[in-house]
Amino acid sequence: MCGIIGCVGRADETLDVLVHGLSKLEYRGYDSAGVALSGDRVDVCKKSGKIEDLRGALESRSIGGAAGIGHTRWSTHGPPTDANAHPHLDCTGDVAVVHNGIIENYQSLRDELATAGHTFKSDTDTEVVPHLVEDALADGADNEAAVREAIARLEGSYAVAVVISGDDTIYAARNDSPLVLGIDDDSYYLASDVPAFRDFTDRVVYLADGEFATLSADGWRVSDVDGNVVDKDVDTVDWDPEETGKSGYDHFMLKEIHEQPRAIRQCLRGRVDEMAATVDIGDLGDLSPTGVQFVACGTSYHAALYGAQLLRNAGIPAHAFLASEYATSPPPIGDALVVGVTQSGETADTLSALREARKRGARTLAVTNTVGSTVARECDHELYIRAGPEIGVAASKTFASQLVALNLFTLGTTRVDGVRDIIGALRDLPSNIQAILDGSQAEAVAEEYVDSDAYFFIGRGLQYPVALEGALKMKEITYKHAEGFAAGELKHGPLALVTEDTPVFAVVTGDGEMARKTIGNVKEVEARDAPVVAVTDGQSDVGRYADHVLEVPETHPQAAAVLANVQLQLVSYYVADGLGRSIDKPRNLAKSVTVE
Amino acid sequence: MSIDTAVVLAAGEGTRLRPLTRNRPKPMLPAANRPILEYVFDALVAADVRQIVVVVGYKRGRVQDHFGPTYAGVDLKYVTQHKQLGSGHALHQAREAVDGSTLVVNGDRVIDANIVRDVVDEFERSGDPSMAVLERPETSQYGAVVLHEGDVAELVEKPDTDEYRLINAGVYAFESSVFSAIDATERSEGELALTDTIGRLMDDGRVRGVRTEGMWVDATYPWDLLTVADEVLARGHVDEPQREGATWVDPAANVHDAAILQEPVVVGPDCEVGPGAVVGPNAALGQNVTVGANATVRNSVLDTDTRVESGSTLIDAVTGQDVTLGAGTVVPGGPADVRVGREVFEDQRLGAVVADRVTAEGDASFSPGTLVGPDAHIGTSVRAGGRIAGGAEVVR
Repeated sequence: MCGIIGCVGRADETLDVLVHGLSKLEYRGYDSAGVALSGDRVDVCKKSGKIEDLRGALESRSIGGAAGIGHTRWSTHGPPTDANAHPHLDCTGDVAVVHNGIIENYQSLRDELATAGHTFKSDTDTEVVPHLVEDALADGADNEAAVREAIARLEGSYAVAVVISGDDTIYAARNDSPLVLGIDDDSYYLASDVPAFRDFTDRVVYLADGEFATLSADGWRVSDVDGNVVDKDVDTVDWDPEETGKSGYDHFMLKEIHEQPRAIRQCLRGRVDEMAATVDIGDLGDLSPTGVQFVACGTSYHAALYGAQLLRNAGIPAHAFLASEYATSPPPIGDALVVGVTQSGETADTLSALREARKRGARTLAVTNTVGSTVARECDHELYIRAGPEIGVAASKTFASQLVALNLFTLGTTRVDGVRDIIGALRDLPSNIQAILDGSQAEAVAEEYVDSDAYFFIGRGLQYPVALEGALKMKEITYKHAEGFAAGELKHGPLALVTEDTPVFAVVTGDGEMARKTIGNVKEVEARDAPVVAVTDGQSDVGRYADHVLEVPETHPQAAAVLANVQLQLVSYYVADGLGRSIDKPRNLAKSVTVE
Repeated sequence: MSIDTAVVLAAGEGTRLRPLTRNRPKPMLPAANRPILEYVFDALVAADVRQIVVVVGYKRGRVQDHFGPTYAGVDLKYVTQHKQLGSGHALHQAREAVDGSTLVVNGDRVIDANIVRDVVDEFERSGDPSMAVLERPETSQYGAVVLHEGDVAELVEKPDTDEYRLINAGVYAFESSVFSAIDATERSEGELALTDTIGRLMDDGRVRGVRTEGMWVDATYPWDLLTVADEVLARGHVDEPQREGATWVDPAANVHDAAILQEPVVVGPDCEVGPGAVVGPNAALGQNVTVGANATVRNSVLDTDTRVESGSTLIDAVTGQDVTLGAGTVVPGGPADVRVGREVFEDQRLGAVVADRVTAEGDASFSPGTLVGPDAHIGTSVRAGGRIAGGAEVVR
């Protein structure tokens, strides 16, 4: 997965705009980057490493042009090297291409082109595109027709942008990979994601699959596969570009952890009425599903596990599936509503699972953070979690907002007892999270256990997904071994891993049967000399068996999961910080995984 | 000489406002229903400032979380003062973030845009360091100023005589040379006061004192938040939409048809006000405040996430964030003699100050002038009075 930027109409500023855009897109990929500008000829500069390395390489070059494209890469085909960085050129050096996605038939195209005498310089799938354009140009096609011909040959997912020497136009197309245009008065942009050009304009046009765009200083045009002009709406986005700033924090992740009270307020705003004990989620309230299948990946999958439990508690058969598995071996769907949970709305595995469900006639709902995302457009219904942009690769506030949104979905579509109490607990979440942020001992706990061999997380019921998420966060940003288990499952195998160098984080809230049983599991690990960190609201006596206690305020069990997770986020953050990890951009990971 | 940058000093706790400052600095305490610092930023934005450098320190996360990287389209840059060693020291932390002339403004007082504009105008006209000067009947809590033909002739911190009538409003304009002037200023008791640097500037040349007027309200003690709210409401200086007259209600608030709002009153986003509740006059509800059925809230400031259960009566009350007052809580109101440390403040209009995350079970009552520390727990039917320590457990 990668990020694309393009710009026309900025005269001498083209290069600056591209590099600025790439820096905003770095969260999409950051193992190499490059730019191509077209004037009389095409100038290319590309470099493995971060955007800073590209900046360094550009210092010794003077390149300019009226139309430019740029790319930041996250490797799928071939290692991160200068040669594999985009843009890629044809044999003549007149055609430059950037691409996001995977071209599935690239091997056959490459063989065909190589046989015809084309020379390839990289290991990428992308490089077939400029050579296909070159062939079409050699056959006498004009520039636009040549790019269209090349695109028509591609199978798979792509967002592609092309510049050609002697032409001030950017040609672009998308299929299954995000691409959005930015419209200003005399200048035009394209990018994988709005923040890339949000500093220059807030007017955007979302391209649909199969659409083709041309941008030049004279204007922009979107057409369909057959070349017919498509009348597109120009939307206005309201996210501040500076919302991508760290506002005084060392890392986006810490900022985003601290933004959770605000994110949850936004998620709830206008949707709950505690006095009347009602929830308003618009026409979703009429869905009344008889069964629900969640599809999701990573952190969103943990939110889905939680959501499925809420629905089951409300008497609705519900199950969470890993999207990548669901896409290739879907279960019988019956009348179930299929709910895709994806922060970015572009997660390829989740999109693919939802498409599979739709193909089988299922109704689909997207639970996402991203207005205008592919998932929101493709599903029958959507529920926005309203967390605001999240830049840290490891999801934090969006998980909290997903949990809250799934509460709203459950309350809005089912009949459960104690609605007023649940709404009250949801309304109390912002202040309860603030209380944790103000008083957390997570930093001290992290300092004590920063050198541990491994970290285990156990929880039961609604705290089981929290244990899984706690472990995932620890893996993602500390690169340490971490696993989450259902508390009762520990003794069925994983207990063999437990030693005095493997702290066990036990999430125990309430004082009911679940808490008592989990405390039993805590005693099991304590007997093996493992340090125990209890995340608890103090209702049970788990503190007696723990080496450390991370407190959360007492609340409704459904809200307790959101609170416990905040403590675990902070522990992971401070362990990663203590280890000097690249917290916002962990190695090998990217923010939204747009490849399957 | 145009000026488009401001440094806002927001690093200090404001110890005299304890116990409300346990979790946040004074600039984040509410003036009516939004933080004091928002008013400061509003005044700067209205005066065409395009870049604001915020010096943060004590509980800086609260400032950063609330405002994020921009305010009203203006970039905010945060610099940290790790130890609070005076206002001059605080300003000095912004040295790297400031390029050229700059405004300097205290972040802990509500100010009017006029005050900022007048200082900018004088600075742009004269090119000399300039500071806003206000006429006040009472100068003993502030820096008193004596002017001579528009120049500052004397600057006296917290004078103990009543001969002065002008005060330093805490709004300045300087050239970037102010930073070297701070360098050259001697510390007094380890602290660097900006006014000492201004004293040096007066010795080296002129410092213009700009006579100005407009809203300028300061809270010295917790109960002052009530008068600050009165003044802000009286001037209609709230950002919620006007429902009618001096009644402002956020569109995302949920006020029951059978609740009564008596002006002036402001109700923030996500609030719920139950049937039969009477809120106002002079009441300010922050974000997500709940006022239960048949509760009365008058002359009070209820900060974010406060819950007042049904049938309660709150008069002259100030609550911090996330305070829960059970059904039938009674704060009958001032006046009262309030004891802070060894000092007694007589005849203050104060029902009770209830700090962050205090929980009172039902049927508790608070004698006039009660101060309750954060996280205290007040049991059912307790009659609370005097000063209750943070975290205390009070039972009947």
